[in-house]
Amino acid sequence: MSARHILLVDDEPHVLRVLRLSLEREGYTVTTASDGHAALACMAQQLPDVLISDIQMDGMDGRTLCPLARATYPDHPFLILVMTSMTALDERTWARAVPDTEFLEKPLSPRQLVARLSRHFAALPVMPGLPPEPVHAP
Amino acid sequence: MPHNLLPTLDFSRHQRWLQRSTGCDHALAVCDASGALRWSAHGDAVSGAWLDALNAGGFAWPCDGDGMQRHTLGDNTLLYTPIMAKGALIGFLAVRAASAPQAPFAWDALAEALEDMAGAIADECRAQGELDAMADELSDRYEELHLVYAIDRQVQDMASGDDLFGDLLESWAGHMDADVAAFIKPGENLCVSATNLSAPIHNLDLVLVEMRGDLYRFAHSSRQPIVMNEADDPRRAYIFTDMPFKVLCCPVFQDKAVVAILVLLNHAQKEDFSNSDRKLGEVLANHLSSLSRMHSMLAETSKFNQQMAAALIEAVEAKDPYTRGHSERVHHIAMEIGRALRLPPRELDDLFWGSLLHDVGKIGIPDAVLCKPGRLTRDEFTFIMVHPERSYEILRHIDRLKGAVPGARHHQEKYDGTGYPHGLAGNDIPYNARIIAVADTYDSITSSRAYRAGRSHEVAMAEIARCAGTQLDPGVVAMFETVCRAEPDWIARFRIARDPVASAPAAQATVAA
Repeated sequence: MSARHILLVDDEPHVLRVLRLSLEREGYTVTTASDGHAALACMAQQLPDVLISDIQMDGMDGRTLCPLARATYPDHPFLILVMTSMTALDERTWARAVPDTEFLEKPLSPRQLVARLSRHFAALPVMPGLPPEPVHAP
Repeated sequence: MPHNLLPTLDFSRHQRWLQRSTGCDHALAVCDASGALRWSAHGDAVSGAWLDALNAGGFAWPCDGDGMQRHTLGDNTLLYTPIMAKGALIGFLAVRAASAPQAPFAWDALAEALEDMAGAIADECRAQGELDAMADELSDRYEELHLVYAIDRQVQDMASGDDLFGDLLESWAGHMDADVAAFIKPGENLCVSATNLSAPIHNLDLVLVEMRGDLYRFAHSSRQPIVMNEADDPRRAYIFTDMPFKVLCCPVFQDKAVVAILVLLNHAQKEDFSNSDRKLGEVLANHLSSLSRMHSMLAETSKFNQQMAAALIEAVEAKDPYTRGHSERVHHIAMEIGRALRLPPRELDDLFWGSLLHDVGKIGIPDAVLCKPGRLTRDEFTFIMVHPERSYEILRHIDRLKGAVPGARHHQEKYDGTGYPHGLAGNDIPYNARIIAVADTYDSITSSRAYRAGRSHEVAMAEIARCAGTQLDPGVVAMFETVCRAEPDWIARFRIARDPVASAPAAQATVAA
């Protein structure tokens, strides 16, 4: 199985659990990490198709992790989504300034996340050897 | 579905238990409720082969109670135990063993071990299932929280209440992935909708009529959210007859009565509206209730304001029948120019009130002067010159009109500084006052007075063009000319608004002249 691989990084276990469940239901393979260091360790094992990271975390936070992940794997084109607080404006400003990074607002809507990911993967060119994405009836 | 949880468990642990408790190296196989292999200690190829043969032979996995079952397979015996979670069969634990056991107690030990493990696995699945259900519930709450935060922010960002519902519905249609979102409040003749179409709807107007009529009545009497997914739902005899849409309709309450509905529609080929959609719909309907209360209060206040202003204008214009409708016409013309000049909303609002109330100060001019047919003496003209200042003195008491007052106070200033009351010139004259001056000039020339008949549009335009740069702001005049050229009819509409009483003596005056 070559399911799409998502790496979720957040220091709140309930967020990880809820998002993991929503994503696994859609057929994604999900790995979770509780801070930036753990996330980099996971990436060394297997590179994800999408990295979804919180900003505020103990240990290595999202502001450090996201640019570092890009710099460490410059040849690996993965999507980075950061979860920003709806109330902290500076987090959104920061997220806008990081190239090839998009932000989702917390409290995160699992529906929006799933919709965002399927749009992302639908827009990707089909890679040889990968089974086509399941197409829902229009 | 509890059997979906089987693959999430790690069965190698159970294999070790089995070996420890029986002292033999029986190979464990885990099957789902249909007997298909889910996990095996022998690797899938070996166990898969004999299980496939067994299932293909029509083996029905009969169970007599929930203890260990035996089934002879040639030289071997199949021993299996059902795994039950919440009274439902979710799978089997199976072991294939040689038919003649070394010791009679070996079967008992194996049966006990398998039954214990089946119980433990069932417990684990149950716990996992409960966790998943909780995560599901949490996920719904996240969705709700996200929406509530988003609504909050949207409401804060709204500058004016006009597009509030339209903007909200648009974002909800997107969020809920619904083709149509509509808010319908028949009592206030309100019917706002937004679309996010997955396929075209050709008769959207008809659909809205249907919502306003039958669907609203249905919700009004049932007082419950309505979820209608099936094409053959019996309620379709009353609502959405011949329209195959999936419908989610939530009543919006005010003081315990249904006053409006929130409706989400989807094309038949989209997914059903789920329970969590319904819950979200109820959250949104709740918000709509308080928002729409706020909206009606705002509308009421604004109506009160306009009626107060109209009463004030009526008081001025009652003094002089020739100026009837003047304030309103100047107001319409000034607003048209203001919009064409792309004034920001705040300034447009100031212009709105300033142009409407610019002549309020005329209340202080003696009738003998105001209505005098013929030229005014110097002394009489001083009375006239006081009226903008008088307008200011009357209006300054109203906080809401702080921004509008300068427009009224300075509408008689001239661009070259020869006007009154302060003799301001050029850009020192407030912009709104310069706009009102152009509109005022136009309406004065085309209106009849006690001492002369109203002149034509062409004469007025020529006069205004002549005064551009001296009395009037050339930029405003240019925009006024552009607006008149672009839509020659709109000015004519205001002429109709003139009071016939005012124009009758004017006609006579023309004859006399």
